[in-house]
Amino acid sequence: MSPFELLEPRTLREAAGLLASAEPSVRPIAGGTAVMLMMKMGVLRPSRLVSLRAVEKRYSAIEAGADGGLTLGALATLSALERSPAVKSRAPVITRALRALANVRVRNVATVGGNLAHADPHMDLPPILIALGASVSVVGPAGDRTLPLEKLYAGYLETTLEHGELIAEVKVPAQGARRAAYLKCTTRSADDWPALGVAVSLEADGAVVRDARIVIGAATDTPVRLANAEKALSGARVDDVVLRRAGEAAAAEAAVIGDQHGTAAYKRELVRVYVARAVKAALAG
Amino acid sequence: MATQSTQSVGQSVPRLEGRAKVTGRAEYVHHLHLPGMLHGKICRSTVAHGRIRRIDVTAAQTVPGVHRIVTAQDLRVIVPDPYYGPAFHDQPILAVDKVRYAGEPVAVVLASDPHVAEEAASRIVVDYEELPAVFDEVEAVTSKAIVHDVLKPAGTFPDLKHLQGKRDTNVALDFRLRRGDVERAFKEAAHVFEHTFRTQQVLHVPLEPFVSVAEPGEPALTIHTASQSPSFVRIEIARLLRRPENRVRVKVPYLGGGFGAKLYIKLEALVAALALLTRRPVKISLTMEEQFYTLTKHAATLRIKSGVSKDGRITARECEIWWNGGSYADIGPRITQKSGFTAPGPYDIENVRIDSYALYTNLPPAGALRGFGIPQLVWAYESHTDMIARALKMDPVEFRRRNILREGRKQATGTAMKDAAIDKVLERVAARMDWGKPFDRGSGTLKRGRGIAIGFKAVIAPTTSVAIVNLYADGSCSLCCSTVDMGQGSDTAMAQIVAEVLGVPIESIAVVHPDTDVTPYDMATLGSRSMYHMGNAVKLAAEDARDKLLAMARELGLAAETTPIPDIFRKKYGMQAGNIVGTGSFIPTYQSPNHETGLTENATPFWMVGATGVEVEVDTETGQVKVTRLVNVADVGRPINPAIVDTQLSGAAIMQMGFTLFEKMEFQAGQCTNASLAGYKIPGMLDLPPGITNEAVDAVQHTGPFGAKGVGETGTFGVSPAFANAIDDAVGVRLTSLPLTAEAVFRALRAKQGQALSDE
Amino acid sequence: MMKPIKFTLNGEAVTAEVPPHWNLVELLQSRFSLYGARESCGQGLCGCCTVLVNGTAVSGCLYLATFVDGAEVTTVEQPAPGAELDAVQEAFIARGAFQCGFCTPGFVLMARQLLDEMPDPTDDEIRHYLSGNLCRCAAYPEIIEAVKLAARMRKGRGKST
Repeated sequence: MSPFELLEPRTLREAAGLLASAEPSVRPIAGGTAVMLMMKMGVLRPSRLVSLRAVEKRYSAIEAGADGGLTLGALATLSALERSPAVKSRAPVITRALRALANVRVRNVATVGGNLAHADPHMDLPPILIALGASVSVVGPAGDRTLPLEKLYAGYLETTLEHGELIAEVKVPAQGARRAAYLKCTTRSADDWPALGVAVSLEADGAVVRDARIVIGAATDTPVRLANAEKALSGARVDDVVLRRAGEAAAAEAAVIGDQHGTAAYKRELVRVYVARAVKAALAG
Repeated sequence: MATQSTQSVGQSVPRLEGRAKVTGRAEYVHHLHLPGMLHGKICRSTVAHGRIRRIDVTAAQTVPGVHRIVTAQDLRVIVPDPYYGPAFHDQPILAVDKVRYAGEPVAVVLASDPHVAEEAASRIVVDYEELPAVFDEVEAVTSKAIVHDVLKPAGTFPDLKHLQGKRDTNVALDFRLRRGDVERAFKEAAHVFEHTFRTQQVLHVPLEPFVSVAEPGEPALTIHTASQSPSFVRIEIARLLRRPENRVRVKVPYLGGGFGAKLYIKLEALVAALALLTRRPVKISLTMEEQFYTLTKHAATLRIKSGVSKDGRITARECEIWWNGGSYADIGPRITQKSGFTAPGPYDIENVRIDSYALYTNLPPAGALRGFGIPQLVWAYESHTDMIARALKMDPVEFRRRNILREGRKQATGTAMKDAAIDKVLERVAARMDWGKPFDRGSGTLKRGRGIAIGFKAVIAPTTSVAIVNLYADGSCSLCCSTVDMGQGSDTAMAQIVAEVLGVPIESIAVVHPDTDVTPYDMATLGSRSMYHMGNAVKLAAEDARDKLLAMARELGLAAETTPIPDIFRKKYGMQAGNIVGTGSFIPTYQSPNHETGLTENATPFWMVGATGVEVEVDTETGQVKVTRLVNVADVGRPINPAIVDTQLSGAAIMQMGFTLFEKMEFQAGQCTNASLAGYKIPGMLDLPPGITNEAVDAVQHTGPFGAKGVGETGTFGVSPAFANAIDDAVGVRLTSLPLTAEAVFRALRAKQGQALSDE
Repeated sequence: MMKPIKFTLNGEAVTAEVPPHWNLVELLQSRFSLYGARESCGQGLCGCCTVLVNGTAVSGCLYLATFVDGAEVTTVEQPAPGAELDAVQEAFIARGAFQCGFCTPGFVLMARQLLDEMPDPTDDEIRHYLSGNLCRCAAYPEIIEAVKLAARMRKGRGKST
């Protein structure tokens, strides 16, 4: 690693301003796990880093809204999320998934905003939060805006954030009667990055699905919703035939890529099997 | 001297270094920081095979704080002939004119600040003329891409002499064994089976990466190094520097794991030359990534053919093995030969033909990794054994029972089996697996299966160990030996031997870590040889000290058996003074195999036997394999420290489980593409099977110290084939290539259903 | 471009001048000769570099040294209150829960954190909590046993040491 200047603004807006006026290699750093990794590998050689650690405390908060939803500060750590009683009661799928996300030390420092903005498709939170219908609010030089989380992703390690924009908060709407599940599939050691993550959130009357959101990660360049698989479930009474149909639709529509976790052909099979299993798990949950 | 035995041997004494390790204070080379020390960072080859046209250091030199940039040319002043290696003098300290693998060291930047050295090293630009490369071990036999123009055997092994100066070949060694009449036996056999197996290239991954420090001085240059072979390092560096042995001093504290990686010369020649060049201490510590470019385990292709009689007796076996040694031979030729001895497996077969080839390719060098080639062989012959049993509709345990080598019978080399509890190990693993009892085969998409496998090894020979026991006037005692404690617990076990012989408590013994100016010669800490060889030397040294002490007591008219040790010294010297030095030197007998037939009456001083039993649950929709039970059974002679033996057995098995199920170095045009622990996964806590048990069978190694022998590798032997056998048992597919990934299982399942999955 | 920082190290107030690009392991080793936290994988995956910052375990190899300004830092070298070794350390020795020892400080610190959070962990909880620590010698079965023993010892002593 080579030397850099570390700036520590007191407000998120100030941080966004510093980033906006700097050349693109200048990066924000919060928990620092991903930034440190990239600097150590030499793929990132910033002249300056803008630390977000001293910005307003409210961006580290996790709040349970009166409407039944959740507001997650971008600087809340993953372990704060894991331990939050509000998260556990309103979106237990997050609490369950966090237990197997990276490791305790990473969760202790990595932040919600960093996890989302890194845009590594192997991350578990993005598909889960997309399935829950989350949106992100962003501060930036051109003003603040809110966008659905699924619109954040442009490609592998690429977001739609403009130069100088920072995630401020994530809003998870009230889930009402929706049930959700996240299944993660690793193909090497158990603590490996996933070959596939499947998040499902659905509303159902007994076994009849009224509305389903199915999102996969890790097997594709970005976390992605599978519209055809969702359609296959919508209004259907879930049985083995429907599940197979949903799985097949998912495998057919996902732009699966091959890597060290498996060939694309194999991962498509995983999509087929795990989408069905995740739907089942959501219904049971 | 207290005569009553302390009965130290055979007890699970807690490790001597426990306190130091749990408080983070145990000493590793990693911690060493010397005044004025420079850090070296290596610029590595980006091509697999190429001629170096030009090394441009202009940009690197502009980084503030760079002390010096060094290439092979600069080192010639210090080391005129800069080639090293245990079997062949084929590996240059830094690439000379040519690179032979992607990742090979080409230049080094020295700076006081390692960040500066790293930054500068990344700015060195090397221009290569790329040459055709060869990566596959079988292709290497006939390939036009030649890795080394001329073979340069080291001369230390008489059986490599005939290879001197051989040109235009990638075959670094061919070992052959001929016993009986294989052709006739195949003709007469009721059944003939032939299968080919492959293993992948994997990595040791000690958590302490390679690290060495050299410190110039008079009269000796001192090298502090994380090495399993301090004596070899001294001799080889002395040869390179054209100095006598006593002007090179090698010191080794604890090792953060070795597993065969930290043997012979790794960074030692480089830091030695750099320290002499700059007249300053130089440290090079590799990153985890760089470990992938240093030493690996041989990938191999193994073809095995058997003739079997009507009643299920194996009558003939033919083995052909190609070892992918990568770009430098390291100890590959030894692996090729020594593992060749036992290639037909622990079976009583009259007619045997073995051809074992060490090949050069343009991959990172391969060497010993916990088993010296044995796990690759067992993978092949124990998969083969089960495939035969299945084809003959025989129970796999019963088929083995019918064919195993019994005590006294001659093994393939013609050496008679002695103290090798093959039968007992087989019976115990079967019993622990409840082999005869009904087995739950699972239901729905989860199918259950079980498998066993048994392997054996002839320990490397002939090798020497020397030990010194220094008894002080207060009754405390130092043990000086060059065995490296890299986690296997040798300090504790060796101290237990001294305590037992001298009849003193283990707390009164301190083990002096390898320091070639202080501790005597030892061949190396490798191949499970230390407990037996060094254990015998330590026992002899302790007995020598004890006998001298008893003689001194008798001379002084003291009751030798009952007088406390300090009183004997006090009577002799009039005060607390003097010491008694006991020495022990051990080299077992050995007879080199005949070059033409590979036969010998005495191939090894002892045999190691290990078996594994595995139960798995296979998900037929995904191919995922869950291990529900892992049983390790071994003949380790009589354990000196049963608890440590237990950890060695399960530790080895879990490591081999990683090599079996998912570990694999991936390459693209010879460049390793997963050189990190994010890309190359090793087993973690969540991969641990729920039911893991170990057993050392009731056995004695009569020539070993207190009946003991080595154990470090034994737990690895049977793991890979036991998994493949269990998977076949569960879902009826046979995998012949490692690793046995979920995808490989799934593909085999689909192929069996006639719906093969596309390759992409 | 040194940055002056002040922090508490194993109970003692300390100061240091650090380059901005140093990680916490480099700070502890170079300025304080503490080598219990050591870099191995360099990616936060193996746990050899575990350090506690304000009572929370972090990977020292991925943690900027300057981030500990004003914090309380604890390493494995911190002596147990009133004793040379704490229950976890004693249990690791008693169960032989290590071989080469390179990963041991990380396991000791993580096991303490685990027992602070879950005084009576199940096997599954132990495996999950320690899944981010790697032991290539694979003394995993012994480590699980040691954690369970330490839990019993801590209960017997009625305090968290």
